[in-house]
Amino acid sequence: MDDSTKRILQRLIRRIPSQMLQTMLGKWAHLSREDLHSLDFTQPKWVLTEQLLALCEENGLRVKHITELEMIYIIENPNQGMWHGFQLLDAEEDAPSIELTQFKKQFKANLTELISNVSIKIKKHTDEAIWIRVAWGDNFTKPNHLKPTYVVHHLQTPYVFVTGLTSKYKPLLNQALVLATRYGSMKDAHLSGRNLTAIRDLLMRQYQQVFPTKNPKPLQEKNPVPRNPNIEKEHAENTENRLQMACEAFGDGTLPQLQKAVYKLETKFRDNSNKTLTDREEPFRGVVEFASTNLLESLRHCVSSGMASTPVTPLLSSITQKGRNYFVITDKGV
Amino acid sequence: MSLLKPFSRLTGLNTANILLVENEEQFQQKLADTVVLQEKTVNVNVRLARSLPLPMENEESRPRIDLVVFIIHLTSELSFQSAETSLKYLDPGYFQGKVCFLVTSARNVSVPPERLVSVRTLAASLHCPLLCAEDQTTEGVTTAAHRLLAILKVAAGLVPMATSLYLSTLTRCTVPSDIDQQNFE
Repeated sequence: MDDSTKRILQRLIRRIPSQMLQTMLGKWAHLSREDLHSLDFTQPKWVLTEQLLALCEENGLRVKHITELEMIYIIENPNQGMWHGFQLLDAEEDAPSIELTQFKKQFKANLTELISNVSIKIKKHTDEAIWIRVAWGDNFTKPNHLKPTYVVHHLQTPYVFVTGLTSKYKPLLNQALVLATRYGSMKDAHLSGRNLTAIRDLLMRQYQQVFPTKNPKPLQEKNPVPRNPNIEKEHAENTENRLQMACEAFGDGTLPQLQKAVYKLETKFRDNSNKTLTDREEPFRGVVEFASTNLLESLRHCVSSGMASTPVTPLLSSITQKGRNYFVITDKGV
Repeated sequence: MSLLKPFSRLTGLNTANILLVENEEQFQQKLADTVVLQEKTVNVNVRLARSLPLPMENEESRPRIDLVVFIIHLTSELSFQSAETSLKYLDPGYFQGKVCFLVTSARNVSVPPERLVSVRTLAASLHCPLLCAEDQTTEGVTTAAHRLLAILKVAAGLVPMATSLYLSTLTRCTVPSDIDQQNFE
């Protein structure tokens, strides 16, 4: 094994947390059972790394095997790094009938045509998602396995999720994906987050949604929380209304975990107390950013507790309704 | 303006009704549970509201309110403003000992001291008692409930030889005037 391969393996072992290492290596299945048993996982990581390096050398494992291990790790723990959502547009007639082998062949052919030195790995996960790992190189260098791009696509849906893509290779990946999926173009869905499952659920509307109803009271069979007859709430109806509106805007139950919502303002400054800024003709450029560990949960709580006024402003509810978290607001509208 | 009137209804036997007004609607629930649990001899009814005026729909079923407690969280300016605006919807008859202010986070370092001063001046101008409560621990909630119950029983007329007006002259909040402060003796 040459130095670069050793370095890739070292980096990878350092990245995988110790608790998961044993299961990952088991899933990898490139080391025999005796070899796995010979490793003592209670040792410090650097000792383990040395032993693993030796084992891999013995078994003659190469870069492509190590990248397999990395892919297994990322598929199991997708919620790291920054994921961006993209949407495919203008489906052609045979877009819905694309199946896996066809997609794989097309994608690999397209990408290698566009840029010769790439390393591509495609894997289908149990939940019908296709995972693609691309390591980019150019005409003179070998593919850089330390900074790979991961792409997740669910066949028959127009959504693609990408992490680790630099702007240099973005058009190439776009073109390869568009051709392989038989769509016309791909645009940025303006949705990004650390949590892949969250942005996937948000874009594909897989969270529990609440629809406006005429009679929102639940069925009487549901066990009500035993309420103390001596305690009575004066504003009970208001509270229920607020909760209903909050759930309609953001959803019920566990919500997808978004971290940020960014509103880029390009509107004219409007404040009567500040004449110098109000008189300017150019738009006042500002950025409003909401950040939280679980943004949708916090916004829903703001509305249901009355901190944000109801009805929910479309600026906030369009995060879930349109499935994006980056907005540019101009004077004519969002 | 729909004012809340103190004597518009007949009282029930051995009952006391307390109204907790809090903008955030957090502490009032805990306090209500504790108050109801603590009191065994008197039938205590607690009504929770966010602000005044109270909705008209409950006008018929609402009993006579003996004590109105305004819960103000010093950490939020909105809490104080909401309590101030709610005061307008109380009949003046309440201010003879049937209104009480309950303040939380008074010891909190990040709270600007002017807020407590303004709450005190407000309570002093209305001749109402000002209680400080600690809402994060169960002991704090129990203590606050205990004190509120003491005032409530007087306000409901369940303590012989004591009326709420008499009690309020003893418990009302005072703000030391500047003249007193300057004369150190």
